[in-house]
Amino acid sequence: MKGLPSLLASFSLPGALFSHYRRHPLQLLALAVMIVLATMLWTGVNHLTSQARASLNQSEQAVAERQQVVRDDGQMLAVDDFVALRLVGVCVMPWLEVTPETGNRLVGIDPLAAYCFGSRNRPSPALDQPLNGKPFLDMGVATAIKSRDSRLYLLTPDTTQTADLPGGYQLTSFSTSPDTGELGDSFLLNLEALGILVLLITALLLRSVYLLGLVQRRDSFALLHRFGVSPDRVQRWLVFEILALALMCVVPGVGLGRWLAAGLGGGFGQALDGLFDIPLYAGQGQGWAMPVLVMLAVVVIACLGDLLLLRFRERLSLILPKTVYSGLAALLLVAGLAMAWLAPSLPWVFIAVALVFAGAGWLAPYAVARIARWCAGRSTKPLALWRYRELAVLARRLTLPLVALQFALAMVLAVQALVTTFEDTFDRWLGQRLEAAYYIEVPAGADGRQAAEWLTRQQTNTPGLQWHRVMRGQAQVTGTDNANNPQVDVFAVAPVGALIRSWSLLEAADQHWEALDSGSGVMINEQLARRQNLSVGNNLKLRLGNQQRVMPIQGIYPDYGRPVGEILLSAETLPDSFNVRFESFSVTPGKPGIAQMTDALQGIWQVEALSMRDNGTIRELATSVFDQTFALTRAMTLLTLILAAAALLMMGWVFFSTRAWYFRLLVAWGMSQRQVAGQLLRLALLLTGGIAVLALPLGIWLTWVLVHRINPLAFGWTLPMAVYPAFWFELGMLSLAVGLSIAALMRRQLGRPAVAPVSASALTGGER
Amino acid sequence: MAESLLAVRGLSKHFVSGNETVPVIEKLSFTLGQGQSLALTGRSGSGKSTLLNLLCGLELADAGTIVLQGQVFETGAKIARQKAMKWSSLRRQQIGVVFQEANLMPALTLLENVQFRAQLAGRSTASSQDWLTRLDIGALAQRYPDQVSGGQRQRAALAMVFAMEPALILADEPTGSLDRHTADEVTQVLFDLQARYGCGLILATHDAELAAGCQQHLDLGHLSSL
Amino acid sequence: MIRHGMLLLTLFVFLGCSSDNSDEGFAGLAGVEQSVRLDTPYLQPGSGDQLNFPEDFGPHPQHRIEWWYLTANLETTKGEPLGLQWTQFRQALQPRAVSESAPAATDWPLQAAWMAHAAVSWKGQHYFAEKLARGDVGNAGATAAPFQVWLDNWLLSGNEANDRWQLQAAGDGWNYDLTLTIEGEPVAHGEAGFSAKSASGEGSMYFSLVDIAIAGEVTLGGEVLEVRGKGWFDREWSSQLLKTGQKGWDWFALHLNSGDKLMAFRLRDESGSFLSGTWLPAKGAPVPLGADELNLKELERREGVPVRWQLSVPDYHLAIELSAPPGDYLNSGLYPYWESPVSVSGSHQGEGYMELTGYAD
Repeated sequence: MKGLPSLLASFSLPGALFSHYRRHPLQLLALAVMIVLATMLWTGVNHLTSQARASLNQSEQAVAERQQVVRDDGQMLAVDDFVALRLVGVCVMPWLEVTPETGNRLVGIDPLAAYCFGSRNRPSPALDQPLNGKPFLDMGVATAIKSRDSRLYLLTPDTTQTADLPGGYQLTSFSTSPDTGELGDSFLLNLEALGILVLLITALLLRSVYLLGLVQRRDSFALLHRFGVSPDRVQRWLVFEILALALMCVVPGVGLGRWLAAGLGGGFGQALDGLFDIPLYAGQGQGWAMPVLVMLAVVVIACLGDLLLLRFRERLSLILPKTVYSGLAALLLVAGLAMAWLAPSLPWVFIAVALVFAGAGWLAPYAVARIARWCAGRSTKPLALWRYRELAVLARRLTLPLVALQFALAMVLAVQALVTTFEDTFDRWLGQRLEAAYYIEVPAGADGRQAAEWLTRQQTNTPGLQWHRVMRGQAQVTGTDNANNPQVDVFAVAPVGALIRSWSLLEAADQHWEALDSGSGVMINEQLARRQNLSVGNNLKLRLGNQQRVMPIQGIYPDYGRPVGEILLSAETLPDSFNVRFESFSVTPGKPGIAQMTDALQGIWQVEALSMRDNGTIRELATSVFDQTFALTRAMTLLTLILAAAALLMMGWVFFSTRAWYFRLLVAWGMSQRQVAGQLLRLALLLTGGIAVLALPLGIWLTWVLVHRINPLAFGWTLPMAVYPAFWFELGMLSLAVGLSIAALMRRQLGRPAVAPVSASALTGGER
Repeated sequence: MAESLLAVRGLSKHFVSGNETVPVIEKLSFTLGQGQSLALTGRSGSGKSTLLNLLCGLELADAGTIVLQGQVFETGAKIARQKAMKWSSLRRQQIGVVFQEANLMPALTLLENVQFRAQLAGRSTASSQDWLTRLDIGALAQRYPDQVSGGQRQRAALAMVFAMEPALILADEPTGSLDRHTADEVTQVLFDLQARYGCGLILATHDAELAAGCQQHLDLGHLSSL
Repeated sequence: MIRHGMLLLTLFVFLGCSSDNSDEGFAGLAGVEQSVRLDTPYLQPGSGDQLNFPEDFGPHPQHRIEWWYLTANLETTKGEPLGLQWTQFRQALQPRAVSESAPAATDWPLQAAWMAHAAVSWKGQHYFAEKLARGDVGNAGATAAPFQVWLDNWLLSGNEANDRWQLQAAGDGWNYDLTLTIEGEPVAHGEAGFSAKSASGEGSMYFSLVDIAIAGEVTLGGEVLEVRGKGWFDREWSSQLLKTGQKGWDWFALHLNSGDKLMAFRLRDESGSFLSGTWLPAKGAPVPLGADELNLKELERREGVPVRWQLSVPDYHLAIELSAPPGDYLNSGLYPYWESPVSVSGSHQGEGYMELTGYAD
C-alpha cells in the first residue's frame, strides 16, 4: 500500500495537478482568457505605439524643413523648370500647393519623381504611401482641380549642392510649418513610459487571476505533500503548466492584438498592408517573436514570481507585521514623491515614478480597508457597519485587480490630460507663430525696408491691416557661466504690433511690449531661460553683429519647436553689422485683400511672383497630421482601462460568489432579496468608486510628472499643466458602471441556492 | 396539546432532475404546539433541509398548506411576492434559523453579530452581551468568528437566535461539525434555553440520541406522515 | 523581361488606385478617364504583325509595356572584362492611339510611367542605378527619328542615319559615356518580329541589333576606364503580361567566337516552361528555334540563382556551358532581378549576357 501513492504520484502528478482544472474548467478558462486578453492588450498597445511613432515620423517628414530650388529671376516655377533640372540630373520633386475653390488646401506630388529622394533602393518613406487625397494627391489630379490659387515648388534633397544646379537657379529652404520635431519626440517618450505601465497593469491582472486559482488548489497541494511529493516537484510542474498554458494562449493573443491594432489603426494602415506584402505602417518592424517572448516572460514572472519570492522570504524570515508593510509602502510613496520633485535627470524621474506607483499600489487597498473600518467604527446602524466591514474585506481580497484598475484609471487620466494638453499647446503655439494670415518672403536682393515703408504708409488708411517685418539671424550670449558663449537665434520684428502682442508669455515685466518696441529690452524663449537660468528682470549680455549689448529681459515666451535658444527683439535696434540670414513679412491684409498687397509688393521689389504662404492652411495641414496620433493614443489607454475593468468585474464576481452563502444568510435572517441586492449594489459601488477616487491623485500626479518633470529634463521646456474635471467625472461613471455590473451579476447569484461552506476558512469566503 | 404554533398539511416538494421529477417531500402533515420540540430524522437526502427551508419560506412548496402563528401559506393562494414578504417578515422576527456552520457574518465580531441579528428583528441590543455570557462566551464578545472554536461559533449562533426572541427555531444539524463532547454541551444549552423561553424547535439531525431529547419525532426516512 | 512589365504594373496599379481614390471627389473627371479607356483599347501583338522602321525604334503608346535594352561585353585597355547594361521601360497606364497627340506637359499627365536601369559589372563588383519618371512631362520619353531615349540625364541618342549612338548614364559615384556603332540590320525574332511567349499564342513584338561595336569611358569611383567591345540591343513591346502561373524568365544573348549568335529564352511555369530562341548564323538568315530544337538545363546555383547552365541546339551542333563570373549581379531596385555577363565554353567559345527573373525572393 505504501508504494501505491508514490507510484501514483510519480506517474500522474501532472494528472493529479490538472484534475483541479478538470473539476473547475471555468478557472482554467478564466486564466486562459486573461492571458489571451492581456497579451492582446499589450501587443495592441505596442503596435499602436509604434504606429503612433510611424505616423508622427511621417507627419514630421511631411512638414519638416526641406530644400527647394527657385529661379534666380524670382519667377514662378513651371513644369519646364522641373524638366530642365531633371535633364541635367538634379533630383527635384514637384510640390504643387492648390487651394480649391471649395475645401482645404491640397498638395500635389509625383511619387515617381520622389523616387530619387529615397535611399538607393527605397523611395522616401514620407512619400512611400498611397496618395489618398488628404492632403497629398497626384500631380495630375491636383493640376486638374479648379483652384483659387496654386503654386509649384520644386523640392530637392538635402544632399543637393548649389554647384549641382544649372545657371539661373538657386537653393533656398522650404518648410510647410514650424518644426514639430521636439514636440513629437516628447510625446513619444511619454508614450514609451505609458507602454511600460500597460505591461505592469497586465502583469497585475494576470497575477490576480492566477493566484485565485492557486489558493483554491492549496488543498490538493497539501494532499500531494502528504503523499510524499516534494514541493519542489509540484513547483516544477506548476512552472511547466503555466508555460504550456502561456504558450497556447500568448500566440493567439498576439494575433488578436495585431488584428485589434490594425482595426484601430484604421484604413490608412490597412490600405498599406494590402498594397504591399509587408506591414509598412501598422506596427512597423514588429514581428511575432518579440511580443510572444515578452508576454511569456510576463506570464511566468507574474504567476510564479511569488513562488520564488516566497521561498526567499521564508529563508530570510521576512514575515513582518502588516503595519510595517504599510509603513514601508508609505515610505516608498513619500520617497518617490520627493525624488520626482528633486530628480536631477530622467532615469531618476522614472525610478521615482516606479516608487510612487509601487507605494500607491501597495497602500491603496489598505487605505480603502482602513477608511472602511474607520467608517464602520462610526456607524450606528448594523447594516452600515456590516457594509463597511465587508468593504474592508473586499478591498484586501481584490487587491491586485483593484490596483490594476487604479493604475489604469490613473494612466487614462494622465494620457487624456497629456494628449489634450499637447493638442491645445500645439494648436495655440502654432496659432501664435502663425498669427498673421500670410507670410511673404523678401526675395533675394530685394529691399525689405522699402516694403516696410510702403506698409507703414498703408497702415493709416487700410482698416484691418496688421503686419510686421521679420529678420532672422544669430547672436552670441556672452557673460554667462558657460565658458563657451552659446549661439542663439535672433527673431527680430518691427513694428512690435498686435500680431506679436497677442503672444502669450510665461513670465513678463510691466510694460513689456512697450519696452520691446522701444528697443530697451528683449524677450527670450523658455529653453534659453531654463538653460542659462535667466528670468524676467535679469540683464542679457549679447553680441549682435559687431556690437556688444546689455538688455533687460522683459518676458519669457514658450517655444516648442526647437531645442535652441531664441531672442525676440525689435528689428529697429539691430545694428547694421547684423547679418540678416532671412527676411520676411507677416501680413494680415485687412479689407483690400491679399491680391492688392502682393501686386504692390511685386511692384516695389520688381519681381513677377512672390514666395508667399497662407498660414491658415499651413496650420490646418500641421494639425491634421497630429490628429491620428492623438486618436491612437486615446484608443490604447481606453483599451487598458476596459481590460482592467473587465478583470475587476471577473474577480469581483468570483469573490462575491465565494461569499454568496453569507449574502444569503441575510435572506435567512429576514431581509428580502431586493434589500440584499441593494446592499450588494452599495457595496460594489463603494468599492469601485473608492478606487476611482484614489486613482485621481495618482493620475494628476502622473500628468504633472509627464509635463513638468520629464519634459523639462528631456527637452528644456514645460507644457502648461491642465486638468479636465469633466473627464474625471466620465471615469468615475465608468468605475461605477463596473460596480453596477458586479452587483447585477451577484443579484442573479442570490436567486440560486448557495451551498453552505464546510469551514469558515479564507478559501470559502469566510475571511474577515 | 398546547395551542398550535405550526400546522403543516399535505406538504409536497419535488425537484426536477433532467426529465425526471424526484419527490422529496410528499403529502406531509404534522403540527407543532407552542414551546414544543420536534426532531426531524432521516438519511442524508431524505429532505430534512428542504423541509426546514419550506418551513421558513426560503423555498416554496409545490402543494400543501403551512399555518405558522396563525398566518396561512397556501400554494398558489397568493401572489408570490406578497408571500415572500410575509415570509421575510416572519424570518426577521419570529423564526430563528441555525445551520450546521457559518451562521455568523465573518467580518463582524461575535457581539456585533448578535447585535446585528437583534436589530434586524427589531429587538433591543442591550441584552446582546448577556446572551453571549449566558452561553459561556461572554469573554469572546470582541473576537471574530474565525478566532474562536467551532463549538464557540455555534454557541454564538444560538445567542444570536435567542437574542431575537423567536417563536420558532429551525436548527439544521447544528452540532453536525462538532465533536461529541462539544455537541452535547451545545445541544444541552439549546434544549435548556428553548424550554426556558418557550419557543418551538424543529431540529433536523441524524443523531438518534439527540432526537430522543425532543418531544416529537418525525422520520423522513419513511416518507410517511404522522 | 516581361516580368519587369508586370512588376512595373504593380507599382502603377498602386498609383492608379491612389489617383482613383482621389478622384472620388471629382466624379466627372473619373468618368472622362473611363471613357477614354474604352475608346482606345490596348493593341495586342499577334501573328502576322510587321515591324516598321524607323517608327518601331520609337514608343508604342497604344501598347501596355515596352523596353529598350542594351547589354554589352566590354574590355578595358588592360584586357579585363567589363559588363554593362542600360535599359529603359515604358509602362502605359492608359493607352493612346499613335494618331492622338500627347497630353500637355503642364497638366502633369499620368498616361505612362518610365523606369530606367543602368548597371556596370567589373571585377566581381556590380554597380546598379534606377530612375523613375512620369511620361509626357518632358524629362522622360523616346522618339524614333531622331532616335532618342531618355530619362533625366540618362540619354541614348542616334545620329541622322541612326548608325551611330551615344549613351550616357550615371549612378552614385559612377557613370559611363559610350559610342555605339551599329553594324548590320535589325534582326526580327519569331515570326517576322512576333515572338510567341506561350504555347497559347500570347507574345510580343521583338527585334534586336546584334552587331554593335562599342567604345567609350566608364568611370568607377574616380577611376576612368577606357573600354571597348560589343553589344546587343533589344526592342520589345506588348500589351500582355506574364500569364498567371508564369513565374519568371531566363534570357540569354550570346556572341560566339565562330561569328554565330544565339538568343534563347525560357518562361518558367508552375507546370513546365516555354522555350524559344533565334539562331543567328555568321552568314545567312536568322532561324527561329522552337521548344524542341533547344535544350536548356540548370547546372549550379549561387544563393538561389542558377549561375551555370547547359544549352544545346543539336541542329547546329551547339553544346555549350554558360557561366556567370564570381560575384553578385542582382539589380536590387524596386524589382530585383539578375543581370550578368556570361562566358561560353564547350563546343563553342564566346561571351554574352544572361538575365534571370523570379529568383530573387
